[in-house]
Amino acid sequence: MTETPGALDGIRILDLASGSFGYTGRLLAGYGAEVVKVEPPEGDILRSWPPFANDEPHRERGVRHLHLSAGKRGITVELEREEGRALLLRLVAEADVLVESFAPGYLAGLGLSYDDLLKVRPDLVMASVTHFGQDGPYADYEGAEIVSVALGGYLKLTGDPDREPVKPYDDLVVGQAALHATMAVITGIFHRDLTGEGDLFDVAAIDAALFLLGGPAQTYHFDQKVTHRNSTRLLNPNPFFPYPSTLRPCKDGYIHAHQNYSHPDLLAVLMEDPSLDDLMDQAMGNATEIDEKMDAWLANYDKSEVVRRAQELRLPFTEVLTPLETLNDPHLNERGFFLDVEHPEAGTVRQPGAAAFMTRTPWKSGRAPLLGEHTDEVLADWLDLDADQIADLREEGAV
Amino acid sequence: MPGPLGQLRVLELTTAVAGPIAGIILADMGAEVIKIAQPSPAGRGGAGTVPALEGAPDHPWNRIPYQNELHRGKQHLALDLASEEGRALYLRLVESADVVVENFSPRVMANLRIDYDDLKAVKPDIVMISMPAFGKTGPYALRGSYGPGIDAMSGLSHLSGYPDRGPGKPANFYCDQNAGMIAALSAVAAIRHRNRSGEGQYIELSMLEGELQVLAPAIMDASINGREQMRIGNRHAWNAPHGIFRCEGDDDWVALAVESDAQWQALCTVLDRPDLASDARFATTEGRKANEDEIDPQIEAWTAQRDHHEAQQLLQAAGVPTGAVLDIAEVHADRQLAHRGSFDYQDHPEVGPFPHTRTAWRSRRGNHGVSGHGSIYGGATDHVLKELLGMSDEEAEAVVASGVVAREPLSPPA
Repeated sequence: MTETPGALDGIRILDLASGSFGYTGRLLAGYGAEVVKVEPPEGDILRSWPPFANDEPHRERGVRHLHLSAGKRGITVELEREEGRALLLRLVAEADVLVESFAPGYLAGLGLSYDDLLKVRPDLVMASVTHFGQDGPYADYEGAEIVSVALGGYLKLTGDPDREPVKPYDDLVVGQAALHATMAVITGIFHRDLTGEGDLFDVAAIDAALFLLGGPAQTYHFDQKVTHRNSTRLLNPNPFFPYPSTLRPCKDGYIHAHQNYSHPDLLAVLMEDPSLDDLMDQAMGNATEIDEKMDAWLANYDKSEVVRRAQELRLPFTEVLTPLETLNDPHLNERGFFLDVEHPEAGTVRQPGAAAFMTRTPWKSGRAPLLGEHTDEVLADWLDLDADQIADLREEGAV
Repeated sequence: MPGPLGQLRVLELTTAVAGPIAGIILADMGAEVIKIAQPSPAGRGGAGTVPALEGAPDHPWNRIPYQNELHRGKQHLALDLASEEGRALYLRLVESADVVVENFSPRVMANLRIDYDDLKAVKPDIVMISMPAFGKTGPYALRGSYGPGIDAMSGLSHLSGYPDRGPGKPANFYCDQNAGMIAALSAVAAIRHRNRSGEGQYIELSMLEGELQVLAPAIMDASINGREQMRIGNRHAWNAPHGIFRCEGDDDWVALAVESDAQWQALCTVLDRPDLASDARFATTEGRKANEDEIDPQIEAWTAQRDHHEAQQLLQAAGVPTGAVLDIAEVHADRQLAHRGSFDYQDHPEVGPFPHTRTAWRSRRGNHGVSGHGSIYGGATDHVLKELLGMSDEEAEAVVASGVVAREPLSPPA
């Protein structure tokens, strides 16, 4: 039985993106493209990042690599050598898409700019993903997740008013930049299929952070008022704005409490406290008083009980879950969201499954490649090279 | 220049943020996006309404900033889907559409009898995408939640915020933009498949599952190693120093990440602290990580005497990853964002120039930008009834008179 193809079946992608930018290639592989992860001989830095399976530092066992490289084939190419660059050009000639995240100008300096690549692949779709973009005053800056979160305006709006701003979890914004790059690439493929024209996309993480801001960036234009971080509440400070939308402690943890916009009276019903109703006309203005009343009630109940009672009333409350709780969550497990992937070095790896469930073009999982695992296979598949020719390339130091 | 999706028509039946985000991305790419909403009062959020342009009609429902952002480049149709006539009009419209995006709770489309099977019956190759919070199956299928409530269940809240306080929330939103982008790219991928195979499809995007992609490091640390990760604030899981540091001013900060020994040496040079540079305890990443409580105040002693923009410039000039922690006003003035044209001003007929936040990529061909201003209530009425459904002027006016389609909110907010 042949496997049902994914939506991007037949699309060949050279993935030179490094670290968490590898998420673009992971998504494209999930949607069915043939993704080849191109690494330097020492391997992508992603392989050196913790945590590791069984806490043993090993280039094949980093969980970030196991997740972000899943479903890709892996080859090594030495771009610092002329022979390696020549080989990359031969691969580009057979590729539909190239994704990269080098510092701006690095590839051009090697004679591998987009215009150079167009000479061997005139309809190439290419995405360059960086923190700041390919040109402009910050183009030569050194990037990092926390730096892009700061410069995109997202960091200052996160945290408590009485404390320093606080960065959200991990590589959230780099992940968004990679997600935007994925949209650009898929749209670029779509456009190429219709017109025969390729395109080059310049993707910046600072813009991905900015895109997450939402309304405050727009309202400022009209009232020139700077929005401030507001703990776990929504950012609109208008006293008439609906409330609650916040995180509060309960008996055994935390819950997310949220108003039913159509029926603000339901909070008083849930908590059997009619005095809450009096606070709803200026709910955001009364937020601290509402918190005190909610806390007194919430202290009596476990989070599961709070959420059960609230959702029965159609109040959109949810539990704050820890990673272990999310992993063991009955809903996600009944849906079969997590996938158990066999990996020769890391064993059985349980990891997130499909980003979206496409009923006719299924999500593609697969495992992460060992370093250079598919070099021979890809050179044979894409370039029709035989074992002797591949041995010559190895001799030359190209791979 | 027309955008790459210029031949596509998208019907958007959405609420809140995630669904509209999916629509604006498709509209930016040139798709014709018709936002369909129940005829109703203009809804909450009236408190943020901005002043009208001089000479413009007094339609406050068209002047809510975030609604204009969430409906840029779209056309608005107020259509009563709960009526038989409204449903019939909608199904006729589906016949001319390529994609339907909806993000109501799973019972809504079924109750209105406009779920995928209903649409497929009139348009066999339709692509329909639903964006329920938790999916259409499973024990939580009927749970309601907005984005921040989904952050709670994904582990994002637990993993964000101060280690010495409760779970946190990233700025205003995260989950919604994430799901909106996944929905948009799924739709384009599905249309590619349709163009090649003739086959449409149904796409179910659980916002929770879309978000869990980026939670993988913590989820897999749990699944493989049994470890329960905890939020670490502004610190990094293994690099140091890493965080934000107070600068001159009330609430001014600079973000800094040292990711290599060379960057550490560069930092010490800028700080003019050869003693730190030569301290063997700080020579390696592991050493700096073990001693970050001692290192951080040394950095802050320097930053606290400087403007945050100046600190950024001096440290970046030496190759240290640094960025000022910008507020909204500073974001609007930032040189790099200005260079990239990150705010795209479109002239709105009732509020004037309006800054739309572009997606994060720039296309060399240049046709991937914001395609138009925020939608005007009922603005698609004539286009839909006359051009797409072929009604005469009289027939169109009869539909409006019947209340199935509305040109203005039923009872404008006070």
